[in-house]
Amino acid sequence: MTGRSPMRDFAIAAALTLIIATGALLAARQNALRDEQLGLATNAISLFEARQPLPTDVHITIVQTARGHADFAPRRTIPAEGNRQLGGRADAPLLDKLFYDAAGTTLRTGPYAQLLDDESGRAVATTRLSGTNEVAIALTPVGRVANFPWLQLLGALTLGGLLAAAGALLPLPARAAMLGAGIAVIAMPVLVSQQWSAAAAIGGFAAAMALLHGFGITTRWSAAMQTHRVAYRFVAPAGLAMLVLVVVPFAIGIGLGFFDHSHGTWHFVGIDNFVSILSGGGHPLSDPLNFWFILGVTVLWTAVNVFLAVGVGVGLALILSQRWMGGKKVYRMLLILPWAIPNYITALIWKGMFAGEYGAINSLLHALGLDRVSWFASWSTAFFANVATNTWLGFPFMMVVAIGALQSIPSDLYEAAAVDGASPWQRFVHITLPHLRPALGPAIALGSIWTFNMFSVIYLVSDGAPGGSTNILVTDAYRWAFERGEHYGMAAAYATLIFALLMLWTFVRGRVLRREEAV
Amino acid sequence: MTRRTKLWWRITSHALALFATAVVLYPVLLVVKKAFEPGRQFALSASPIPTQFTLDHMRDLVARHSAGGDLLFLRHAGNSLIAAALTTVVGVVMSCTTAYALSRYRFPGRRLGLAGFLAVQMFPATLLLMPLYVILDRLHLLNSLAGLVLVYTTTAIPFCVWTLKGYFDTLPKELEESARIDGASSWTIFWRIMLPLARPGIAVTALFSFMTAWNEFIMASTFLTDEHKFTLPVLINSSVNQYSADWGLFAAGALITSVPVMILFYALQKYLVGGMTAGAVKG
Repeated sequence: MTGRSPMRDFAIAAALTLIIATGALLAARQNALRDEQLGLATNAISLFEARQPLPTDVHITIVQTARGHADFAPRRTIPAEGNRQLGGRADAPLLDKLFYDAAGTTLRTGPYAQLLDDESGRAVATTRLSGTNEVAIALTPVGRVANFPWLQLLGALTLGGLLAAAGALLPLPARAAMLGAGIAVIAMPVLVSQQWSAAAAIGGFAAAMALLHGFGITTRWSAAMQTHRVAYRFVAPAGLAMLVLVVVPFAIGIGLGFFDHSHGTWHFVGIDNFVSILSGGGHPLSDPLNFWFILGVTVLWTAVNVFLAVGVGVGLALILSQRWMGGKKVYRMLLILPWAIPNYITALIWKGMFAGEYGAINSLLHALGLDRVSWFASWSTAFFANVATNTWLGFPFMMVVAIGALQSIPSDLYEAAAVDGASPWQRFVHITLPHLRPALGPAIALGSIWTFNMFSVIYLVSDGAPGGSTNILVTDAYRWAFERGEHYGMAAAYATLIFALLMLWTFVRGRVLRREEAV
Repeated sequence: MTRRTKLWWRITSHALALFATAVVLYPVLLVVKKAFEPGRQFALSASPIPTQFTLDHMRDLVARHSAGGDLLFLRHAGNSLIAAALTTVVGVVMSCTTAYALSRYRFPGRRLGLAGFLAVQMFPATLLLMPLYVILDRLHLLNSLAGLVLVYTTTAIPFCVWTLKGYFDTLPKELEESARIDGASSWTIFWRIMLPLARPGIAVTALFSFMTAWNEFIMASTFLTDEHKFTLPVLINSSVNQYSADWGLFAAGALITSVPVMILFYALQKYLVGGMTAGAVKG
């Protein structure tokens, strides 16, 4: 049994390290191809700009915009093919669309270099010819990635297996060391292709596995797997699904926070994104792009909404719980209506009601003899519009929770208190409130997390107006990724920080609750 | 309490409840009015009472078609239905055994698993949006219902696990014990005894995860850019989010899309509160 256990640990570790190694090798080959092709293309462009002779395998096309037209018209190519119109004919070359798009992008956002996403391995690089409406586009020939190093990987695996097997014959400290060395050997093909971070990951993994094995932890785990194998088999479907669908993307998300993304390529930038976010990114504290400003807005947004939702919800619950109150069921049914309506529809309705000079809210104000308000022109009114929407959709949950809690209070408590001469206020403070707290506590916790992340209301009602100042953290993270030019790295760093904040808050809340319980 | 203060308090209570009800109903009535009133503008008068009646918006909505002549509304409704149904099936099927084990078995890692499922369910999917976008882009699954279903299951599975676990907790243990004494295997006990008993819980869980997927908007509008792949929420949002907002179309779409799930919600709402707060208390 003990003799076999290093081989078991090796098999598990080898399976995981092989995934890392394969991924790193695939990425390395792809990167090598991209660097080579981009180099070819940009080199051709700079040679062309310097009027030097061009490499024969790169094709340069010059596209010119037609005067007074949005389209691009004749092109001349090097080697020369003569001028002609781009596209427009059924038998136009397929590349015309590529040239058209490339010229458009260059004129709009400046020159760029990029690998085509058609899996052909071709790259384009462009430049705008100074003083003209002409764009030069270099296109490289089809490129192929190098062959996958199967043999290297297989050799490393065999060697590692032999090391681990040899270690099985030795006593414990040496056995663990041999196991670690055996796993670390799998990093060799990765080292050959210069993927340092993947190699470091495999090395770290090997060391961790050796330690776990040395202290007998893996053996204990395997014994637990054996004893509880029925339970683990039952847990496996959703557990594995979560691992693949949540844990892996989550880890990737945290990892992406350390990269910068532009024009389809990623560069490792260390903790730059985090530094830039936490230092405010060079924006003053009062600027809506400053992280701390957004955090302030988010906290205020959460506090105000939860306070209002709980206030309105509990207030209505108290009214509806009076014994003599007629039509309770009807009121309750109508009042939970906002909960039944999908959030995005609610948000869009309220946006419509606040929008414009003649929106419903302004018409109501006018009918009451008040001035019409331009709701999304100033921070406070825009924030108010968001809060009104969110309170409308959020109070029914609190109300239903509170009604449930109020129903569970035994009525003889109130009778006894009345006999003792307690005033209504005393009864409220000493009977009602203590019975509400256990149910409202979790509801408030849940409600504040929902509100903290209430994307749809902010995004659809005020959309950050005016000038992004009503954004909350989740909408701002979204904008970094999808509205400010694909800053995926920044967005990922933002999401990581939001998650850290939520964890911190949950942890602090747990501590406080435990202390309250202890008292 | 004297009779007079009581009467005064009764009047105030009803006045407050009526006011709240009016505030709740007002936006809803405006939408219903808009759905059957001509014109693209929203609420030119403050009154929620319709003065004209037309079915034009409904007809426009159903008759909308793409350049290729496809009926878009039917397509989007189909997409919504497929995405929500697949999400539900995957979510429930993957969760049943896990929820049962978390309810009945005690094993190392159980508490971690419970906390993990709770955290994933409570923390917003928006945090996963960006990595999922990058991954789906790499896998060429953007603009596909399969990709959308994968994304939806990230929230559906933890939800189903927690709700089903709560339901399994309420089932008596005696049946399992006597079956075990009779020599039934763990799988037989689960498949023959517990699963049939849990049918009502499974039905409610399935309906809720269907509703959640049906109502989802952010992921769908981020991942789907091809008009043919839209789900209904994306269609409804795009009808008022463009430069030419058509509120009549929006109102008709909102009504058709949300009335079925609202009926479902009213039928099931008593189960929802218990499940959600139970999860939060234990976490």
